[in-house]
Amino acid sequence: MRKKNKKRALKVCIRSVYTNKIISSNRDLLAVVFYGTKKDKNSVNFKNIYVLQELDNPGAKRVQELDKFKGQEGKKYFQDQIGHGSDYSLSEVLWVCANLFSDVQFKMSHKRIMLFTNEDDPHGDDSAKASRARTKAGDLRDTGIFLDLMHLKKRGGFDISLFYRDIIVAEDEDVGIHFEESSKLEDLLRKVRAKETRKRVLYRLKLKLNKDVALTVGIYNMVQKAYRPSPVRLYRETNEPVKTKTRTFNVNTGSLLLPSDTKRSQIYGHRQIVLEKEETEELKRFDEPGLILIGFKPLMMLKKHHYLRPSLFVYPEESLINGSSTLFSALLTKCLEKEVLAVCRYTPRQNTPPCFVALVPQEEELDDQKIQLAPPGFQLVFLPYADDKRKVPFTEKVMANPEQVDKMKAIVQKLRFKYRSDSFENPVLQQHFRNMEALALDLMEPEQTVDLTLPKTEVMDKRLGSLVDEFKELVYPPDYNPEGKVTKRKQNDESSGSKRPKVELSEEELKAHVSKGTLGKLTVPALKEACRMYGLKGGLKKQELLDVLTEHFQKA
Amino acid sequence: MARSWNKAAVVLCMDVGLAMSNSFPGEESPFELAKKVITMFVQRQVFAENKDEVALVLFGTDGTENALAGEDQYQNITVHRHLMRPDFDLLEDIESKIQPGSQQADFLDALIVCMDLIQKETLGKKFEKKHIEVFTDLSSPFSRDQLDIIIHNLKKSGISLQFFLPFPIVKKGGTGDRGDGSLLLDDHGPSFPPKGITEQQKEGIQMVKKVMMSLEGEDGLEEIYSFSESLRQLCVFKKMERHSMPWSCQLTIGSNLSIKIVAYKSITQEKVKKSWTVVDARTLKKEDIQKETVYCLNDDDETEVSKEDTIQGFRYGSDIIPFSKVDEEQMKYRSEGKCFSVLGFCRSSQVHMKYFMGNQVLKVFAAKDDEAAAVALSSLIHALDELDMVAVVRYAYDQRTNPQVGVAFPLIKDTYECLVYIQLPFMEDLRQYMFSSLKNNRKCTPTEAQLSAVDALIDSMSLVQKDEEEGTIEDLFPTSKIPNPQFQRLFQCLLHRALHPQEPLPPIQQHILSMLDPPTEVTAKGQVPVSKIKTLFPLTEVIKKKNQVTGQDLFQDNHQLINHIEQFLDTNETLYFMKSMDCIKAFREEAIQFSEEQRFNNFLKALREKVEIKQLNHFWEIVVHDGVTLITKDEVPGSSVTTEEAKKFLAPKENANTDTAAAFEEGGDVDDLLELI
Repeated sequence: MRKKNKKRALKVCIRSVYTNKIISSNRDLLAVVFYGTKKDKNSVNFKNIYVLQELDNPGAKRVQELDKFKGQEGKKYFQDQIGHGSDYSLSEVLWVCANLFSDVQFKMSHKRIMLFTNEDDPHGDDSAKASRARTKAGDLRDTGIFLDLMHLKKRGGFDISLFYRDIIVAEDEDVGIHFEESSKLEDLLRKVRAKETRKRVLYRLKLKLNKDVALTVGIYNMVQKAYRPSPVRLYRETNEPVKTKTRTFNVNTGSLLLPSDTKRSQIYGHRQIVLEKEETEELKRFDEPGLILIGFKPLMMLKKHHYLRPSLFVYPEESLINGSSTLFSALLTKCLEKEVLAVCRYTPRQNTPPCFVALVPQEEELDDQKIQLAPPGFQLVFLPYADDKRKVPFTEKVMANPEQVDKMKAIVQKLRFKYRSDSFENPVLQQHFRNMEALALDLMEPEQTVDLTLPKTEVMDKRLGSLVDEFKELVYPPDYNPEGKVTKRKQNDESSGSKRPKVELSEEELKAHVSKGTLGKLTVPALKEACRMYGLKGGLKKQELLDVLTEHFQKA
Repeated sequence: MARSWNKAAVVLCMDVGLAMSNSFPGEESPFELAKKVITMFVQRQVFAENKDEVALVLFGTDGTENALAGEDQYQNITVHRHLMRPDFDLLEDIESKIQPGSQQADFLDALIVCMDLIQKETLGKKFEKKHIEVFTDLSSPFSRDQLDIIIHNLKKSGISLQFFLPFPIVKKGGTGDRGDGSLLLDDHGPSFPPKGITEQQKEGIQMVKKVMMSLEGEDGLEEIYSFSESLRQLCVFKKMERHSMPWSCQLTIGSNLSIKIVAYKSITQEKVKKSWTVVDARTLKKEDIQKETVYCLNDDDETEVSKEDTIQGFRYGSDIIPFSKVDEEQMKYRSEGKCFSVLGFCRSSQVHMKYFMGNQVLKVFAAKDDEAAAVALSSLIHALDELDMVAVVRYAYDQRTNPQVGVAFPLIKDTYECLVYIQLPFMEDLRQYMFSSLKNNRKCTPTEAQLSAVDALIDSMSLVQKDEEEGTIEDLFPTSKIPNPQFQRLFQCLLHRALHPQEPLPPIQQHILSMLDPPTEVTAKGQVPVSKIKTLFPLTEVIKKKNQVTGQDLFQDNHQLINHIEQFLDTNETLYFMKSMDCIKAFREEAIQFSEEQRFNNFLKALREKVEIKQLNHFWEIVVHDGVTLITKDEVPGSSVTTEEAKKFLAPKENANTDTAAAFEEGGDVDDLLELI
């Protein structure tokens, strides 16, 4: 992946591609080739082509090398080192790029040349060159190398039809939808650092309609909490990574233990209960992995507030049962039409207890450019068990009057916005990535991040104007301070204090406790109270109190 | 979070009288069922290790042992165990010591004994709740003289009551709605007087209803359960419920408007509390085992370095950047402390359920005893509800936790109203995968007939019952009332192992399994439509290549196998001969399994020729030695080879050289081996 010809804007682009790629897909190999240069440097000695960096994992060094071209000084440095030329042949450029790929020893899942340019008709006056470029592009395509055009703004507009349309061909034409290019220029330039993930099926499972009819589905996760990458342990002296080894050994003999030399145990009260490791696994097993259809319910029975875990996505899978897609498609069509969901019992793996899930139909959604916004399939929504629900001590219902509600409606309307699921970045992660970048590139301080999760209070206050005060006047008493501490708390404490029942035990009760040996179940205050009643001095410890009382009643 | 001080005193009051042992043939007696329910209850208590105390009072016992017993009063009632923390001894007693009695006793008398016990034994101790659970079939006569006193006393001392009966009762008028929108059903759909019920029992039912009604009004009837219902839905034991910790904060809209709120976790996945400890297999002590982690350099000697000599780093492309914990801590994002701040409002349809994240649902109420806050929050709840909008908020639990962005939407019930908060994803959490369209895809477009078969399936397997008259929908399978079977199963196994250490783990209890299955009538109704689907949709299993190779697959892969064998043989080295033998043996086994004996036999014959041509006598010796020969009739009925012939096949050939030389000249080589297969 690589390429460029014009000036400052381009260098910014490439640096941005680098810093993003380093985070999003750190296994990708990148190279940088300039064309239209004065000097040349490449394996086949073509003119006007300068290979700045061969294909390799990008790292801090390479970014720093690019940084040398930054600013006025950088411009001069570029002029001296590489220089601007006037002529080049795009087919030769592609040739050089292809050579870079073939020099790499290991297998690449895809190969891509990103062409950064603001020239929409590079060989307008030389049809032979243009035709050679087209042919070469075709050759590359046949060997699995794709071309992405990363065109920059051009006065009068960049006209793809002049030249590039024939060079670039959309991939995946057969699936009938246009895939959004993950590497579109805007994406590459965005400030956000996020790790890219490949589409990968989590589980392939049978969806059983009954004992002998089943189709297969793939389970995917479309939302998954992103964490900061896990750290690597380094040797302090050399900064080289160290290996971590864990071993289990017998304390007495020092000999290493095999898994079979251990068992698993839990202790309740004084009882130790011992199981084999396999047994602890086995007791979690109920069903074979799969989805078992229970039945159907109207969509409106699904309670939004019964959320348990992030939902998953279900899409047909032909790899285990042929014909699954057709049945799946029929189920999806009918569930959408009848507005029902399917309740299933879900066991993703061996030795995993089952849980109930709702398969909620989802229709395919495309935008005007035919880019898929939502894929067709079922959302797999987890349903809570009784144990997962907690009783909440709710506050007494006090209803607002229509006037108050209307005022709040006005406030709500003022603060309307359009929610998009990708509107917010995780400030914690963004800060981490920028910190890394600053350390790697020896920056004085990390690039500033904007915390989008903070409310834009100034804008909000301005939009709301006098509404807030009007609302407060309607709902809050004049002396009420919603920021203050609750003053009533104190009174409550006092009253509960005075309400505390006096612990008085009758002589019979105490005697009964002593004879049954259950005196120890009384609380210390109760025991103290009892001691006081009989004029006994018993110290402060519970055992002392118990001893005194027991002695007293046994004597009596 | 469960609060430890929130403990309960529970008296289990079990009828062991004569009639409890009666049952219909093939059914478990009420006595056995009651024991099961009680075991499950106590089991949960023991394994949850909470501070609740439990007493056990039996009535209908042959003997009498209780504090109130007089000449002819409170007879045949035994306090089996006083109020204390439940333990394995209690479980052991329930399993083996408690036997059906031959007497009968007044259940109201038993109730008085329980009340007396609970009052005396909780004195001077702090119990949040006092509770009596009565298990009886109501077969014994009772005297209603003291009814008023009983009710008065229960109310006065704040003791709650639950009844468990062998049969469901008619809860007339009540829809059974427990405020959750879904319905609790009895075993057999609409309740009707159970079969074989006696006049005495009918009277008993009336009395139980009367007691419960006077204690809790209509709701009281909901506290009468059947045994099988309780086995299915352990959540009926309301004393087991856990309370959430309140989280107080201010909901802010801009800088100038705040509302005092308190939030509670309302849903969060309940996990097994106790983890397994690794112990030495012989001594069963964990102290005998130690686990240690060592770090070593990536050199030939794997030189160990101490943990202090290591630091952490992060990958940055091809580099690893050292970044110590201290530096990381210093440079990391700082949260501004606890908050619940509105970022804006949007249409509720823009926040789809599929984006919900995190591991909890919060219910947000106005602060306690703050009417102004309640009115303010109510305004917001109703404004959002009427506009069909939701709030997007920044939520941070406290200064140490990372901030979240989430949605707060209104929830309005008869008894309460609140905002419900659920976390939403950050951009980094989203995965924008594309999937091929299922529409306009000729390969998977269903026909009209196929569609109507699926239509019929959906109708037949409906899990709801519509009541046209009342306009209500009854949920036949309310999953949120089902207890997680994982806990029950774990407790069952632990208890079994505790009481019978030498025995293998028991099978899963039947009532647990049936609790997880769809209602039988739904499955039954689905049978016909499912078989229709089976005939209309061609569904064929693809055979897995790696694990389960079938004949067809195997023999498609044959070229490869034979090529391998060829290559091995060409090396003329013993090691490779052995590998070839393994291949051949594997081939033979598969061929027998899939009745592909002809292919194998042809292969082996060709191989023998090959061996002779190439003079690989050494290899053939191995074949003979291992007795790998043609597959015979005895092994696969389809084979035409007799045992005799198979033996002969391995014997040295007389005139081998001439025959095979001819074959060789005809150009026979690897290819003719392949053609045969």
